[in-house]
Amino acid sequence: MTSSEPILVLDDVSVRYPASASGGSSGDPVAAVRGVSLTLARRGSLGLAGESGCGKSTLANAILRLLPAGTTIDGRIELGGDDVGAMNPGRLRAIRWTRAAIVFQGALHALNPVQRILDQVAEPMLIHDTVPSRAAAAERVRTLLEQVGLPGDRADAHPHQLSGGQRQRVLIAMALACEPDLLIADEPTTALDVMVQAQVLALLASLRAERNFSMIFITHDLSLLADVCDRLAVMYAGRVVEEGPSEQVLRAGHHPYTQALAAAFPIIGDPVSRLAPSGLPGDPPDPAALPTGCAFHPRCPMAVDRCAVEDPVLRVTGSERSAACLLVGERTS
Amino acid sequence: MSRDRATSGQGDVERADRPVVEIIDAVVRFGEARAVDGVSLSVDRGEVLALVGESGSGKTTLIRAVQGLQALTSGRIMLTDPAAVQMVFQDPTGALNPRHTIGRIVGEGLDIRGTNGRDRTALVAAALADAGLRPAERFIDRFAHEVSGGQRQRVVIAGAMVMEPELLLADEPVASLDASIRGEILALLRSLVDGRGLAIVAVTHDLGLAWNIADRIAVMYLGRIVEMGPTEPVLSQPRHPYTRALLSVVPEAGGRERQILVGETPDPRRIPDGCRFRPRCPLYQSGEADRLGVAARCERDDPVLTRVAVAPPHSTACHAVGPE
Repeated sequence: MTSSEPILVLDDVSVRYPASASGGSSGDPVAAVRGVSLTLARRGSLGLAGESGCGKSTLANAILRLLPAGTTIDGRIELGGDDVGAMNPGRLRAIRWTRAAIVFQGALHALNPVQRILDQVAEPMLIHDTVPSRAAAAERVRTLLEQVGLPGDRADAHPHQLSGGQRQRVLIAMALACEPDLLIADEPTTALDVMVQAQVLALLASLRAERNFSMIFITHDLSLLADVCDRLAVMYAGRVVEEGPSEQVLRAGHHPYTQALAAAFPIIGDPVSRLAPSGLPGDPPDPAALPTGCAFHPRCPMAVDRCAVEDPVLRVTGSERSAACLLVGERTS
Repeated sequence: MSRDRATSGQGDVERADRPVVEIIDAVVRFGEARAVDGVSLSVDRGEVLALVGESGSGKTTLIRAVQGLQALTSGRIMLTDPAAVQMVFQDPTGALNPRHTIGRIVGEGLDIRGTNGRDRTALVAAALADAGLRPAERFIDRFAHEVSGGQRQRVVIAGAMVMEPELLLADEPVASLDASIRGEILALLRSLVDGRGLAIVAVTHDLGLAWNIADRIAVMYLGRIVEMGPTEPVLSQPRHPYTRALLSVVPEAGGRERQILVGETPDPRRIPDGCRFRPRCPLYQSGEADRLGVAARCERDDPVLTRVAVAPPHSTACHAVGPE
C-alpha cells in the first residue's frame, strides 16, 4: 500500500438492524445507515456530526464490524486497502486494535471495574502479540500512560480510583497500545468537564502530530469538530447530507441542516445569537418511518413542494464540497 | 442559617421591586468539604442568571439550597415566596415516571397542593401549551416514553410552570439534549422570562447557553463566585483568569490563545490557602502575578469579590485585577 492511498474508503455503505434490536414492532429490519460514501486520507481527520439516531455511531462501529448479531452491512468498507467485509473472523480480530481502534464515550462503562488498569491496557497487546512478554507489556503500559499524561504508577490502580478525565485518558492509551493507523473517537469528551475536555482534545492533537494516525471524531457539536478535524461530514437520518473542509462547512454550510447545527452552539461575542438561541422545530425522524422525499423536509425552513417528493442525492456543490439538498445549487449560484 | 420569606415591612407594594431570591454569605459543608464557601447573590424578576463552573464548584449544591433540598451550614437565603420556586433537572428521561401519563406527571404538583377538578385540567392544559406542547389534548393522555427527547424536556418544564413559580432553578437544562433541540428549549425558557417575568437561575458549564439566554453570569470556583456581572462584559472582557481560561477553551470563542489549565477538577476538601485558584492560575504560575507585585498576596490573602466596574456592576475576586 502506498502512502497516498486513503486509510478508509466507504462505498455506498448501508447498515440495517434486525427489527427486534431496534425496538420496532414491525417485522422489517430498520436502516440506521443508508448509502454512505466517504473517503479518509491517510493522516487525515474526519468529523462525523449529527444527532442521536442519525447513524454516526453505527457507521463507526460498522468499520470494525462491531455490531449486534443479525445486523446487515451492505456496500464496501476498505480499511488500509483491505475489504473489511471479506475478512474472516480471525482476520477481523487481528485488525481490531492494530489497524483501527475505537475510543468510546462514558469511560466508566468501557473499563472493567475489577481489573487493574495495567491488565486492561496490556490485553490488546498480549492478544495481538505486539509485545514479546508480559513484562514488556507492563513496561509499555507505563510508557503509554505517561504519554497520555498520567503517572506510570496509575497502572496499578482500579478504574474507580481514577477521575473521569483520567479514565478517558486510559481508554485513549488502550486504543493506541497497538499503534493503529486509524483512531475512531466516539464522543470521547461528552461526559467530561470543559477544562478536562480541552486537555483530552489537546492530548489527541499532540499524539496525532507525533504518530501520524488518522482519526474519525464523532459528536453533535459541530464547532468542536471543526476545531479538531480537517473535514466534516454531517449526517441526518442515516445519510451524509453535507461533506467538506471543516471551517467552510461550519461557517458557511450549504445544507440547511448543517446551518441549523452550526447555529445551535453560538459564537460567543456574536450579536446575532445574543439572547437569541437558535434551534430547529420538531425532532429527527424515526428510522422505521422516514418522511417521503428528503428526510429533512418536515423540519426544513426552506422546504418547497418538491422536497416532499424527491429524495436528494449528495452532489458536488463547490470545491471539495458536496451536499444533498434539492435547493443548494439554486441558492448558492 | 435559613431559607425564609423576605420581609421588608413596607407591604406588598414593594414586592415587585425586590429580588426574587437573595443569598447572603451562604455556606454548605459536607464534613471537611466546603462545597459552598461564602456566596452572596441576588436575582430579580424577569432575569436569567447563569451560574457557571466545573464539577465541584458548588453550583448545584447552591441551587439545591435555594430549592430547600439542602440545608445551609450558615448564611441566609431570602425568597419573595418560598413556595414559588421550582427546579428542573438535567435528564428529562430519568425525571419522568414511565408508567404515568403526561397529564398526571404535569399535574403532580397540583395534586400535592390539592387543586383538583376542572381547575386542575385547565391548568395542566395551559402549562403544556405554554411549554410548546400544542395542542395540549394531544399530549395529556400519552406516556412520557411515547414522546421525543425534546418533548420530554418540555413536559418537565410544564410540570414546573403549572405551579406558577417566580423562580425556576434549571440544572444543565440542555446538556443531555441534541443540538437542534437545545436551541428550542433555550428559546422556550427565555420566552417564559420575557413573557411573564419568571426569574431563572441556570446552572451550566456551557458558556454558549449563557450567551444565548442569560442577563448575568456568576462564575464559581471551589465554592466561591470569582467573577460576576452582565453577560456581555463578562464574556467579551473577562477579568478573572479563571473566566478567561474557561472562555479560551470554548471552540467557538475564536482566535483566543488556549489556556488549558493543568490538573484535575479541584477538590472542595482541600481548598488552598490564599487565593484558592492559585495552584492553577496562569497569572501566578507564569510569574505575571510576581511582576505585578501581588504574588505574596495570592499566597496569603483570600481575595474578596470586588467591583471592577460600577455601572453595570461587574465584580471579580483576584488580586491581580484592579478597577478599570
